[in-house]
Amino acid sequence: MTPPARGGEFVFATAQYESGDWDSAPLVPANVIDSIARYTALPVAPVGVVAALADDKMLRYPLLYLTGHLPVRFSSVERENVRRFVDRGGLLFVDDHNHDVDGVFHKTATDEIGRAVAPLAELPNDHPLYSSFFKFDGPPTTSHELNGWGDNLVHKHLLAVQRGGRIAVLYSSKDYSSEWNYHPDSKRFLSVDNTRFAVNIVVYALTA
Amino acid sequence: MRSRRRWLEWSCRIAAFALLGWLFGESAVPTARRRVESARGSGLAARLAAWTRAPSSVALHAVLDAAPDELVGDWLAALGHAGHSVTWSGAAHPLALSALPAADPRGGVRVNVAAPAGATIVLADAAGPLDSLHVAEFGGTLVTPAAAGAITATLRGAADSLRAGPLEAAALRPVLIVGEAGWEGKFAAAALAERGWSVATEFTVAPKIQIASGAPASLDTARLSAVVVLDSLTASRLGGALVRYARSGGGVVLAGDAARGAAVAPIAPGTLLARSRPSRLPADTIGLGATGFYAVSLGSDGVALERRGTDVAIAARRVGAGRVLEVGYDDTWRWRMTGGVAGEEAHRRWWAHVVGAAAYVPVGRGESSVAGEAPLAALVTRVGPARPAPASVSSWDVDPRVLLMLILVLLSTEWTSRRLRGLK
Repeated sequence: MTPPARGGEFVFATAQYESGDWDSAPLVPANVIDSIARYTALPVAPVGVVAALADDKMLRYPLLYLTGHLPVRFSSVERENVRRFVDRGGLLFVDDHNHDVDGVFHKTATDEIGRAVAPLAELPNDHPLYSSFFKFDGPPTTSHELNGWGDNLVHKHLLAVQRGGRIAVLYSSKDYSSEWNYHPDSKRFLSVDNTRFAVNIVVYALTA
Repeated sequence: MRSRRRWLEWSCRIAAFALLGWLFGESAVPTARRRVESARGSGLAARLAAWTRAPSSVALHAVLDAAPDELVGDWLAALGHAGHSVTWSGAAHPLALSALPAADPRGGVRVNVAAPAGATIVLADAAGPLDSLHVAEFGGTLVTPAAAGAITATLRGAADSLRAGPLEAAALRPVLIVGEAGWEGKFAAAALAERGWSVATEFTVAPKIQIASGAPASLDTARLSAVVVLDSLTASRLGGALVRYARSGGGVVLAGDAARGAAVAPIAPGTLLARSRPSRLPADTIGLGATGFYAVSLGSDGVALERRGTDVAIAARRVGAGRVLEVGYDDTWRWRMTGGVAGEEAHRRWWAHVVGAAAYVPVGRGESSVAGEAPLAALVTRVGPARPAPASVSSWDVDPRVLLMLILVLLSTEWTSRRLRGLK
């Protein structure tokens, strides 16, 4: 594991869990880091890290990104660490790489979040998350849900567990992991950068 | 024979006129105080009434084995104003006590005691003893969650006792945390909010883009109890406003490298040295300062509040009516996230102490008075410093009426002698 960066530097961390395919979107970290550097003045580490949920060192990264296609079953240590992480003020961003509410990832991940933290609830589309940097009317759609893949639904809301008015766990069925899983250089082919919402998530995590 | 009578007459005449001259001189230019009255310790209070009735020519001297209470100090000062020469001497200890509302949303009273090194002070309120303090250098501070009535401080082994407060609890204003967006600001805000502070934030995420939450339009002691500045760029941007805010009574916390901002140099308690970094991070939990910190080189009037080894990690300074803290830590958030079981609470408490040490607390009305809180200082101010008793001047303390009678007798003798000699 890479040691902690300098005091104020933001490090993008991908959560590693013992079940499932935690590394199913390997290009997301680089793409999000590119967007942070591109749009903001936040000091950001040039490479992301992998934080194992079973290791206490995961607490060094107060924003964790978790994704996958396969069932998510936390070990007791992982579950306890996630609970501590959230209790102390961390934000866990979970994205269903299947984009399928009937899929195994969704069913098991939401169940695990309920056991480790609290049940998820719909996040209002006027939540400060959607205006923390760029302005959105709600969660931006992805090409995957518009093309009818996965559960063939356009999800109107994200789900969240909130603690004291802040988001502790953010859950997406929109498959941002597929949407952002490309090399950052390819952004030049997009008319609108679809990773802008990732900037909102990071800025929200750092300021809320 | 005749010559003798003439000598007698001349003697009477000269003596009479000499006495008259002395009486005139005495009334025009009084001689030095003739009598000194002295009282000691507990007998002093009992003597004050008698001293009040004594002629102003009587010099008064108090021998103190403890600082006098407020009534006695006031009385001595009043006797001085009434024309008495009032002096004091003795071994009263230089003590001072203040009891102020703590700058903490959870309430409490901050008791500050100044006392000689090595002294043991016993603090109590109306409900009983609170705690005792052993003074290492100049004094000590105790924060008690609550106090019933006035606080008293008694010097163990001596008769000195002080009384202060109670003062009304103050309504705290919000704390503003301002700086570059990052974990440090986020978790400092969380810690203070969890402690009960109303927290406003203003975090910079891009040039000219700040994410604000409840931030006031201006730095003003009427709106804010304290401002926490997280970095030097922000300190430079706020510059003059921060200086004005501190001078007008506000509390400023310059955290991380904020003190590097040239604009805040006039109020910084010191200058920052290079940031230390450990060669290896701790394997498991990370405590305060475990990842290094900026050491502070103290300025002329800076005071070290926390040291790590030989380095100063936190320094403080008074600026005008306000206080400025320089905190060398820039990643205390790691303490909260990875600092073991008690890390979160320790981080919360630490930030509350840091802000509480600087915050502006409007103090309400109370019974407190300087004379009660620092009686020796008040006595010196009102009566003067300790001096030995004036020497008692021995002189005739003769009633002027007796002298007048004597003059009449002398003149009558001289006149009778002259008439017996046949002269007019």
